[in-house]
Amino acid sequence: MPRPLQLVLDGEEFSVQLTKLDRENLYGKVEIEAFDEKKRPAEIKVLAADGSTLIDKGGTALEMVTIEGDSIERSEIKTVDREGREMEIVKSSFGAPNDLSPAEFDDYLSLIVKSVYMLDPAPESDMGLLCDHLNDGQIYSFPFSYRDGIEADQAFIIGNAKKDAFMIIGQQATLQYLKLNQAAEFDAIEEDEVSTDDLSFDLL
Amino acid sequence: MPINISNPKNRDAVVALEGLVPSREVVYVDEKGDPVRTQKVLKSDVTHDLPALLKKRRNVSKLADDLIKDDPEVDLEKFGMYLVDTSRVYVTKNGIVHAVLEFEVISAPNGDIRERRPRRKLPQNLNTDVPLKWTGKFIKKEEAIRKFVFTNKKQLAHVNGLTFDFLFDMAKELHEKDSLLLVRGGEKGNEPIVMNRGGKPYNAFLEGRIKGDSYCLILHLSNMELTRPKEEAAAGS
Repeated sequence: MPRPLQLVLDGEEFSVQLTKLDRENLYGKVEIEAFDEKKRPAEIKVLAADGSTLIDKGGTALEMVTIEGDSIERSEIKTVDREGREMEIVKSSFGAPNDLSPAEFDDYLSLIVKSVYMLDPAPESDMGLLCDHLNDGQIYSFPFSYRDGIEADQAFIIGNAKKDAFMIIGQQATLQYLKLNQAAEFDAIEEDEVSTDDLSFDLL
Repeated sequence: MPINISNPKNRDAVVALEGLVPSREVVYVDEKGDPVRTQKVLKSDVTHDLPALLKKRRNVSKLADDLIKDDPEVDLEKFGMYLVDTSRVYVTKNGIVHAVLEFEVISAPNGDIRERRPRRKLPQNLNTDVPLKWTGKFIKKEEAIRKFVFTNKKQLAHVNGLTFDFLFDMAKELHEKDSLLLVRGGEKGNEPIVMNRGGKPYNAFLEGRIKGDSYCLILHLSNMELTRPKEEAAAGS
């Protein structure tokens, strides 16, 4: 069983279990099978720019390189903030209690979502107080880091209409408030009455 | 990327849709303080991976001996090369194929296969002759965040003075309503949004914010509800 996460709300400490939630759990999945003209199975591979090198899953790596393009060991790399100050390691959120702060809807709506977890009380713990506040429409946030790292994500705790609690992890987006003189240019990259209650999410 | 969208008066305009990036505070630097970056490199190709190496030898023990004696898994000329402008291709035993038949195998959450059908590649409907529709269906922010997970988001931007007014007015209306607007595509205005041909369909919601004489219009994309899986919800009740 995964480690419980300790939360603190209004001075009351309690523990929750996290269970990851994704589309597959809710709606199933769609897999693609492909065949050539003679019905031989075909697989997707990556073709390098030389036009001949074929790469399978796991055939690539991410290397850190300097501005000159030389490879550099991770142990030689420092992490600094925008002012050039060296950053301290952010401890895992599972190591100590996490204080919940009331959050604004607009802050949550600015979040670039990375993952979603369902929350359940850990054995011998009670999250009734949290559920009561969530049912009143309150949402909470706190800095979250799954393991020790450089930068914490932001976690929001939200309840749905069925009184279930969820934790949504992500990072704040850089939103731009645009003025008249900040017109964008198009880039070259390709890329009946409806009620919101009738929206289908099932294998769209 | 361009997006053709209509306003409450059913007037449409092509404006820009831009990606949003996280506001990162961390910068990686080398010992001199110069920034470093990540670069995708080649680790191994299909002619040097395990199945290919085993194919040339009788058994695993022989391969193990060769790995100790020599470096058959490494191509010194190629490995470590920067990977840029790569493409995804279909490959059979005979090499790259250009004509393939694709099927979708649809599984339920419990893993049972529900359907197998020829792949449907929906065309993009973000920038066509038919603009995305201002449906007039508003949902309060408080309600929306408790119902949907917004798995992707983009920002709309004007491309000239006329479209500044067009988007500013939309953002102002949404800001004052403190609501998200359901946006749909297609002739009938009843289709989810597809950004690229064959891409994932999303339910889309438009949010507007105003600060003085500037605006922020965010297109929230969702392909997931904020709910527990059915089986689990039934077990819990």
